[in-house]
Amino acid sequence: MLRTQEYFLNFGPQHPSTHGVFQIILTLDGERIVKGEPVCGYLHRGIEKLAEARTYTQVIPYTDRMDYLAAMLQNLGYVQAVEKLMGIEVPERAEYLRVISGELSRIASHLIGIGVNALDIGAFTGFLLCFREREKIMDLLEELTGSRMTLSYARIGGVADDAPEGWLDRLKKLMDEMPGYIEEYQGLITGNEIFQARTKFIGILSPETAINYSLSGPTLRGSGVNYDLRKARPYGVYDRFDFEVPLGENGDCFDRFLCRMLEMEQSVRIIQQAVEQIKEVDGPVIGKVPKVLKPPKGEVYHEIESSKGIIGYYVVSDGSNKPYRVHVRRPSFINLGYLDEMVRGYLLADVVAILSSIDIVLGEVDC
Amino acid sequence: MFGKGLIKGLQITWKEFWAPKLTVQYPDEQHTVPERFHGRFVLDVDKCIACGLCANACPNKVISIEKQKVGKKQYMTGYKMKIQYCLFCGLCVESCNKDALHFSKDFNMNQYFYRDIPLVLVEREAPAEPLEEEEPAAKAGDKEKPKPKPKAKAEKPAEPAAQTEVAAGKASDKEGQ
Ligand code: SF4
Ligand code: SF4
Repeated sequence: MLRTQEYFLNFGPQHPSTHGVFQIILTLDGERIVKGEPVCGYLHRGIEKLAEARTYTQVIPYTDRMDYLAAMLQNLGYVQAVEKLMGIEVPERAEYLRVISGELSRIASHLIGIGVNALDIGAFTGFLLCFREREKIMDLLEELTGSRMTLSYARIGGVADDAPEGWLDRLKKLMDEMPGYIEEYQGLITGNEIFQARTKFIGILSPETAINYSLSGPTLRGSGVNYDLRKARPYGVYDRFDFEVPLGENGDCFDRFLCRMLEMEQSVRIIQQAVEQIKEVDGPVIGKVPKVLKPPKGEVYHEIESSKGIIGYYVVSDGSNKPYRVHVRRPSFINLGYLDEMVRGYLLADVVAILSSIDIVLGEVDC
Repeated sequence: MFGKGLIKGLQITWKEFWAPKLTVQYPDEQHTVPERFHGRFVLDVDKCIACGLCANACPNKVISIEKQKVGKKQYMTGYKMKIQYCLFCGLCVESCNKDALHFSKDFNMNQYFYRDIPLVLVEREAPAEPLEEEEPAAKAGDKEKPKPKPKAKAEKPAEPAAQTEVAAGKASDKEGQ
């Protein structure tokens, strides 16, 4: 192949398609990518360090600020880690509310994932329709928690508050409408030939590499690896729901996108079942927890399936009321690690498609 | 057939074109704000015993409480929030077991000047006379202060943060003993 002199191009940090402040230093040969070096850290706020100066409960609002698109799932990972460390029992009703708000967060996050994926490729209508439904979910979450994005809803030992009057009915109504909306996105984005041409057989990721790089979430499942923590190692009450794990075939951008789309359908199913089951469960939404939390000396690692992949919290306690160390395994950051090899050999325009198919959120990458 | 997907997409777009509009023409129309909304704080001065639990629960040291000893009792002279550092997490409201601190539905907290941002919920003089005087004085104070005014006393903007924090810290220590 004819080669020209290589040159480099800064993609970001101020670029609308990087979904935040993220830079890729691209080395190009004409329009082909020779190398793509991701540079992150522009949004680093030192959340792990801040956590060391906060009490166990006070860390919760900071976890929101990582993946702010699915804040409940971030809360959940942290509180479950601390509960594991202290051996706290969570009331059943709280578990259901956690599942419901968590899955709502997941749908909201995936709606952004697919909507922005479509937008990056040029499908503006699909993006707007995704945001329309996301807004309805935000409204529901706002009624439940008081905030739209940074929910801070989970508490160590339960959740902050019970569902308000009539909330479960409104939730049920939206969940019944949701499959119709998803069909609309399917028609608008998935079936679109231009979208398919831009994403099919682009950024191929083989199952072996995905596992070797410890990728997770839809990025991993798009390559056909059936690994979803909700199924593989159920936490909370996830073993009580009947749902499937959608998988891709080729491991290209399109499969990753489709995985998210199908996962939303499964999340809707989980919520519908949870809404039915929660009716039979009454009782408190927060367990018996001491006012001052002083976990025993020791360490714990707990991971859950967040919307972007596996989020793990490593918490070390020295017996005081503040964590000695909190480390977070952030799925966006780890999924991003493979970006360089994923973009090699493709065209410059494909970088946008590949990056948005990993669905990163910079708050989580930089933490 | 190539192009079938595109036509289907256009059909959906066409259908949505006639769907009812969802955009709200703010500020002429407004969304309803839910009951639990995390808006501007309001403090019920009657109920507040200046225990400092809320200040201790806050992850970002937003709240500072000043109090003075009048006779044998503590009298709260100031309750200020550096609202620019607030995460609106609600931990303070939750921690108050006197039900004194609340969120309101007011989300309009923007200010023109930085010095106006801190939210002054209480700022008053301690009464000179102890005990008997205390009740009526507190009542009188409330009449002026229950609505949290955003115009945060322009003549004295942010107090030196360290001082007020120390004051709050000390106060809560005493409470604990
Ligand atoms: S916790 Fe409640 S009673 Fe105590 S100082 Fe705060 S607002 Fe007042
Ligand atoms: S909402 Fe949270 S950050 Fe704001 S004052 Fe209350 S405890 Fe502090």
